[in-house]
Amino acid sequence: MKLLKRIVWRLVAGIGVLWGAATLTFVTINITGGDPAIAILGGPDALPTQEVLARVRAEYGLDQPLIVQYGHYLERLAHGDLGESYRLRIPVTRAIGQQIGATVELAVWAAVIGIALSILFAILTARRARWVRSLSSGSELVVSAMPSFVIGILLLLVFSFHWHWFPVSRTTGWKGMVLPSLTLALPVVAVLTQVLRQELEDILEQPFIVTARARGMSDIGVRLRHALRHAMIPIVTLSGFIFASLLGGAVVVETLFVRQGIGSLMVDATTNKDVPIVLGITLLAACIYVVVNIVVDLLYGLIDPRIRVT
Amino acid sequence: MNHSLPHNRNRKRFLLAALLGSSLLLAACSDSGKASRAEAAEKTAHGTSTIYPASDYAEQQRGQPGGTLRVSVASDPGSLDLHAISHTNAQWLGRILYDNLVYLDDKGNISPWLATSWDISPDGRTYTFHLRKDVTFSDGTKFDAEAVRANLEHMRDPATKSPLAAAYIAPYIDGTVVDEYTFEAHLREPYTPFLNVLAQSWLAMESPKAIRDNPKQLGDHPVGSGPFVLESYTRQQGAVFVKRKDYHWSPQQVRHEGPAYLDRIEISFVAEPLIRYNSLAAGQYDLTIDAPPQNAAAIRADDELAFDSHVRTGAPYRGLTFNTAQPPFDDVRVRKAVTLAIDREGIVQIVGFGEYLPKTDFLASNTKYYDPSFRDALKYDPQQANKLLDEAGWTGRDAQGYRTKDGKRLSAEVLSPSSGTTTPVLAAIQSDVKKVGVELILAQLPTTQVTERRNAGAYQALGAGVWHTNTPDALYILNHSKEITSAKRIGQNTAQLRDPELDELLEKARRSSDPAQLQDLYSRAQKRLTELVPGAPLFENSSSIAYHRYVKGLVFDTSHNTVYFPSVWLQKEAK
Repeated sequence: MKLLKRIVWRLVAGIGVLWGAATLTFVTINITGGDPAIAILGGPDALPTQEVLARVRAEYGLDQPLIVQYGHYLERLAHGDLGESYRLRIPVTRAIGQQIGATVELAVWAAVIGIALSILFAILTARRARWVRSLSSGSELVVSAMPSFVIGILLLLVFSFHWHWFPVSRTTGWKGMVLPSLTLALPVVAVLTQVLRQELEDILEQPFIVTARARGMSDIGVRLRHALRHAMIPIVTLSGFIFASLLGGAVVVETLFVRQGIGSLMVDATTNKDVPIVLGITLLAACIYVVVNIVVDLLYGLIDPRIRVT
Repeated sequence: MNHSLPHNRNRKRFLLAALLGSSLLLAACSDSGKASRAEAAEKTAHGTSTIYPASDYAEQQRGQPGGTLRVSVASDPGSLDLHAISHTNAQWLGRILYDNLVYLDDKGNISPWLATSWDISPDGRTYTFHLRKDVTFSDGTKFDAEAVRANLEHMRDPATKSPLAAAYIAPYIDGTVVDEYTFEAHLREPYTPFLNVLAQSWLAMESPKAIRDNPKQLGDHPVGSGPFVLESYTRQQGAVFVKRKDYHWSPQQVRHEGPAYLDRIEISFVAEPLIRYNSLAAGQYDLTIDAPPQNAAAIRADDELAFDSHVRTGAPYRGLTFNTAQPPFDDVRVRKAVTLAIDREGIVQIVGFGEYLPKTDFLASNTKYYDPSFRDALKYDPQQANKLLDEAGWTGRDAQGYRTKDGKRLSAEVLSPSSGTTTPVLAAIQSDVKKVGVELILAQLPTTQVTERRNAGAYQALGAGVWHTNTPDALYILNHSKEITSAKRIGQNTAQLRDPELDELLEKARRSSDPAQLQDLYSRAQKRLTELVPGAPLFENSSSIAYHRYVKGLVFDTSHNTVYFPSVWLQKEAK
């Protein structure tokens, strides 16, 4: 019962967050100014007649006062209608629908690679010789400080343009996924490995580990069977960070690697002042964020019985 | 994560610098080699009009059929309904998917395509087109007079929200289907550029059935009569076109027979110039449109690659457009002085890496009726600039060395959008004109704000401007007083120029169809513009491509000098 109440409360708060995000984006876009009708018609290179301008203003409701536009906007949102893209001339939901699959695919690859590499590195380096740990944490620092744009270009220069191992953009098959998902995953790996290693090192000093070792278990066995489960908790805690990092990184990675997706759609929309798309993606991101947070909250209880809701 | 992030701020900056340095170094390693000035420059810098060889515009030999051409290009047009966009890529995309009523020949004259011939009534207001009878759209619909009517209607239908095509056919009143293959267009007034604009891809012929059944889907599912059909269009990623096997109606000028040589064209939108160059060099693409000028030298030095640059017809790149309705640029002497003070050779080196051609007059040098006689009227001359400013009464000097009159500094704000490549150009102009005592304040604002102030006439000068079209009527679009933005419409005369003499010349040219008279009118208009100085021309705007040498049959479009893909073929099967 308490769990249900908690979920309901979370959902209500989530809707509040969404409304806040919607309002904030609406306000931001409207105070930056500029006539959206001109943006719709192709910007400064256009020669629209006044008839066309009037038609556009009426069709998008731009001739009405802002507060009315805001009202209509919320009303349409409630019905799941995100409006029509200025530049692409198709419904925002369709534009996002066309692109989201590619981003999800990329994010899943990156998340899997990222988490797998982090676990691997953490297990290999926890409580090892000083130089191993310094080398490892040193490279983690370097990578986490690098913008993904630079990571991507470096990977491309080495593995695509120099050695020809992977293409920039052929999207069919696994080969085209390697560099983009690696670029997206590396910043996650850098942070996650540090946290996991710290956690593992703490756990490896716990009495139950000593017991396990005393039973004659091998070092790797101990690390895999006993320590790892505990170390999973920070991955769940950090899933918000992982999600944000993947989504933020997608903006750069998709543009760099010529991939369709929410990230490159966002870049294109921002450059071309395609307001409905920007609003749509912002809301989508807020939505996913709310859901991720609720799921994380529930997952805690499953993984760590100590936090289970009573 | 609490122990990993906060304490590395200083380090971050150092690492970033080191990494950027190394990536640039890596890129630069491959850049070494014999640097050479543009082939295009050799072709053109003879002090006259730019004349490209006829072989650039017609097939020289039959190509080998087959293969897939992999093309990279900087940006996605967003929609393939060319009536509904003004995007620059439309011109060559249109030659892949669609056909037009007419084409231009290599001298810039109108030449047949889907219309085999046409008659113009003596009053210049009725155009009768006689159409080919063997053309079909890829959905099976026949191309006929009704199709032409449906297309012109679609272009100007406010629902299409056409940013360009509608304006180009503004004088069109209505059309009559005389018989199945004869179409009569009625114009409000004589308008000789009508045929020229009909040769541009923004006014291509789309399937009337698709226009009728699915007008909202045309951007995603375009249906044309062109040599290729769309297989897939993935926004932000690319588009794939496949050959139409029964195509046999290429424009006569191109001298191409039958279907295209290539089986497929795969286009990828590669925004980053560094990636466009490197992925071409690494063999991941066969050809790149929007070849970065900074890589031109490296591309020329590579035996397997070729670089090609063609001037776009129409109006050249203007560094500044002066608002002639506001001080200080309401005084022609100030406009002229600022223009004379700009050292174009220097700017061309900064932004064009030696690839751009400096420009001092107002019509691209390969546009029909270009007259090179006035090309030195506005060339770099700081002494003359100083003299003009003295004459205009700006004789005082303030503490910072700027000129003053009645205690007021000679200063102007230049408005430009906060993205794009204008910044280094404007910064160079700013420092050049400072030497003659003029202050330019660069105001970079978001594009929509620039557009809004531009349409309200609230600016002293605008940075950057081009207008490409396949007719000298570009001069009308940019400089006629009817093209000043008003309550009635948005126009491109952002200099707010109102000169009755120029207006009359350009109007007469729109009514004339006599080549000798047109040459005279356009020559006088070009001369007049160098006296009025509505802006400061800087360089010819070119379209540059780079490709592997096994890509053959490169023919260029007579309209905008872009690649005409149906003639392209591959000497060997691409990897």
